[in-house]
Amino acid sequence: MDFLHVITVFFIRARLCVKHLKHNCMNKKSVLLVLVLISLVILAGCGEEAKDDYGDVSFNLVDQNGEEVNFPDDFRGKPLVLGFIYTHCPDICSLITANLYKTWIELDKPEDIHFVIVTFDPERDTPEVLKDYAADFSMDQPPFRFLTGPKEEVAAFMERVRVRNQVSDIHKTAEGEEMYFLDHTDKILLIDHNSRLVMDYGGSMTPTNIIIEDLEKL
Amino acid sequence: MTQLYLITGINLLITLVLITLLSGCEPGEETGDRSSSVDGNGISIEGAWARPGSMGRMSAGYFLVTNFEDEPDTLKGVYSNVAQLTEIHESYEQEEGMVGMREVSEVVIQPNSTVSFEPGGLHVMFIQLTEALAENEDFELTLHFSNAGDVVLEIPVRN
Repeated sequence: MDFLHVITVFFIRARLCVKHLKHNCMNKKSVLLVLVLISLVILAGCGEEAKDDYGDVSFNLVDQNGEEVNFPDDFRGKPLVLGFIYTHCPDICSLITANLYKTWIELDKPEDIHFVIVTFDPERDTPEVLKDYAADFSMDQPPFRFLTGPKEEVAAFMERVRVRNQVSDIHKTAEGEEMYFLDHTDKILLIDHNSRLVMDYGGSMTPTNIIIEDLEKL
Repeated sequence: MTQLYLITGINLLITLVLITLLSGCEPGEETGDRSSSVDGNGISIEGAWARPGSMGRMSAGYFLVTNFEDEPDTLKGVYSNVAQLTEIHESYEQEEGMVGMREVSEVVIQPNSTVSFEPGGLHVMFIQLTEALAENEDFELTLHFSNAGDVVLEIPVRN
């Protein structure tokens, strides 16, 4: 909203300027030209890609089968569709997970794309829990990998990919155990074969055809 | 006169650009009103389904609930034998792409209206499943309404 506020103020000032052209505020053609150029730049900016480069990082994680995985080394050479979830979240996170599965299905099960989901709740989401979760979505199979890891390593990874989470609510189960829920970033990333961030999507509500269109450009 | 046309044209361009900015770069805002008007009698549940889930894990259930009466009715609670806890929950969006989920104590269904329990919004949360919910199987869910009493559903499991 800050950006829009600045732009709105600019346009209000521009309108005032137009209104007072006779006072030599600005040349009429210049005003028109500047407005058109700014409009084009802004409209282009609406779809601008978020970019980052993960080529110089290294995170050691583990997948649902207990196999060690390094991000990004083990994913270089192929595009990577990367989602973020925790398994105690059966609504929004299910949509994120299902989006990766739908993308894979709609692309006719490609072998040259990595599909990876990482939990930001590693204390509860062990490889065993992730394996159950993957199976519930028919995703406990290649190419899908569900990653967790040591708490500090996962936290550092999430910070690097700008995925935030914080405890929002604590429940008590029938056995009196505390169970927490998390507020979290809703995100899917598209990373190219050189570990560069190509696109940053809102994870749960992103139509899969948009992800597919971007994958086909790589 | 030419100057007047030019100034009017520039003003129109500015207005169009502002409309484009405000509508194109921001996500659409939700109204928060999930209900829609209907005709009929009593409380009706349609389109119920739940996600698969392994034992000890989580699942979510969805449906459309319609109140055909001329008085509001309130969904006060949900019960099932397939989970240690069964609750009404709601997913919500926050700033900067953050999302979350919270328990909802009750849901009012206005007269002759439908409320959607749907992915990304209201849903029934099955916490710590006491049995696996496998795809293509059914299980029982009871919805308790203040006026209509208990409504028992057979919910199919699917992705």
